[in-house]
Amino acid sequence: MKKVSIGGGQGFWGDSPDAAIHMIRHGNLDYMACDYLAELTLSIMQRQRMKNPAAGYARDFINLMKEVGKEAYEKKIGIITNAGGMNITGAVDALKAVAEEQGMHGYKIGYVTGDDLLDQIPKMIADGCEFKNMDDVGDFNEIKDKLVNANVYYGREPLMDCLAQGANTVITGRAADSAMFLAPLAYEFGWKGGDLDNLARGIMAGHLLECGGQGSGGNFQYDWRGVPDMDQLGFPIAELTEDDFHITKAPNCGGLISEQSCKEQFLYEVHDPANYITPDVTVDISKATLTQDGDNRVRVGGIKGKAKPDMLKLCLGYHAGYKVVTYLSFAWPDAYEKAQYAADILMKKMKRKGMQYEDLRIDYVGLNALHLDVAEVDEDLIKRMNEVVLRIAIRTKDKKDAQLIIPEISPLQLNGPPGASFFGGRAHVTDVIGLWPTLIPRDAVKLESHILEVK
Amino acid sequence: MALVYLNTLAHGRSGDKGDTSNVCVFARDPKDYEFLKRVLTVERVKEYFGDMVKGEIVRYDVDTLCGMNFVMKHALGGGATHSLRLDTLGKSMGSAFMRMKVDTDW
Repeated sequence: MKKVSIGGGQGFWGDSPDAAIHMIRHGNLDYMACDYLAELTLSIMQRQRMKNPAAGYARDFINLMKEVGKEAYEKKIGIITNAGGMNITGAVDALKAVAEEQGMHGYKIGYVTGDDLLDQIPKMIADGCEFKNMDDVGDFNEIKDKLVNANVYYGREPLMDCLAQGANTVITGRAADSAMFLAPLAYEFGWKGGDLDNLARGIMAGHLLECGGQGSGGNFQYDWRGVPDMDQLGFPIAELTEDDFHITKAPNCGGLISEQSCKEQFLYEVHDPANYITPDVTVDISKATLTQDGDNRVRVGGIKGKAKPDMLKLCLGYHAGYKVVTYLSFAWPDAYEKAQYAADILMKKMKRKGMQYEDLRIDYVGLNALHLDVAEVDEDLIKRMNEVVLRIAIRTKDKKDAQLIIPEISPLQLNGPPGASFFGGRAHVTDVIGLWPTLIPRDAVKLESHILEVK
Repeated sequence: MALVYLNTLAHGRSGDKGDTSNVCVFARDPKDYEFLKRVLTVERVKEYFGDMVKGEIVRYDVDTLCGMNFVMKHALGGGATHSLRLDTLGKSMGSAFMRMKVDTDW
């Protein structure tokens, strides 16, 4: 029976390449998909591209391909990635240069364009599109002149077109994460649009793999001490046949594939398990099962598919002001009290200098900066604290307001309560990018598949 | 009354979509699942997080996995770069959830 094996090579932009390299070399793969795009990534890439027209894609992918691209090509391992980001043709050109340099004759790069709708927004507004926020907050009129990027999440079909034209590698922009995994599965098995349960299985294969190591023992709350060899954590691999579906990993690497490790990833960022919406299919995992089926091998069952949604999700990024985050550390005795006093000094100074802000947050790292209101704080703990780091975060409308606090932090080593220790260099003001998720009709989107052959 | 950290009976993971935090919670031992469903009501979770979660909380049960999925709106201080929290993506919302104390005699 035909079996297709696909690996999740990257979980985000900035992930380690080690597991991807290992699975190309030892994973016995048919395909590997590499996810680089989180919600905000495209906004960041767009700003990079505005500064440098050659940038705006995940350069990490090109470096990974320098390492294993030729081996993957020789082994006929298809590679799918959304590394194209905001500069898909830039990524294609960079990959082509690598392929030429390494003599990969006949290598075909497929790529998909058309998810970047920024230039079309004014026309869509004129056509009556309201861009209602999916989270029911805000007024679109207030952000429409501050847009940074506008990218639509799309499904498997244009990626499958590339594969059908013989692409060895497919580069996309904002294809839905799980579509990168569904596309080769649907292509190999010939699943049609009405094969809802199969499409749903392909999506869940993607869902279990798209975060890389988080699907194989990374960020594992159940028993992190029990995960073998995290220094060489293998990333998960899905094996599908027409009627079976397993999660496993490559031999000779660390990590763990267990019922619990799969469970933690299975519901991660899924909202309603009976209606997990993707561009290709609405997935129902409300009766799904995960069963250990051998060493580092879990069987996935009970996944159902329902009709795909009528609309596609468009994610707009917009300028939402500025932010500055500063730190200053204090040691025993009275570490917390001194940090509080330093915060008080700084706030008085900022008030005197007329700083205007939208939002302000003062936290004490080591005490309650992560668990906030539910952290357990008592007098005894505070008295005994060896050290604490004061953290002040400020969001402003104008950049100059955010800049005011920066030169005032390090002087507190000499001018404030005793034992303050400044680290990490002066803070920088960063742009705040807001996210505006909305739904648009499918016919507003024209995606195109292309192919380029390396001679 | 026997108060224990939820962590001893359950495990899970948190994720984010904008300002929405999602925490999935699974029984470590399937025999505790019904107890967890009884005790982890939306009201209880809302009260526990207080001001940290400003929006609605919805719980979805997946009995076949002995798990629940909590979807909490306006829970990340604005979400992504808007948020001034150290943990803007709510990676630690899962462990924050797990330090809730539950009464096993309940």
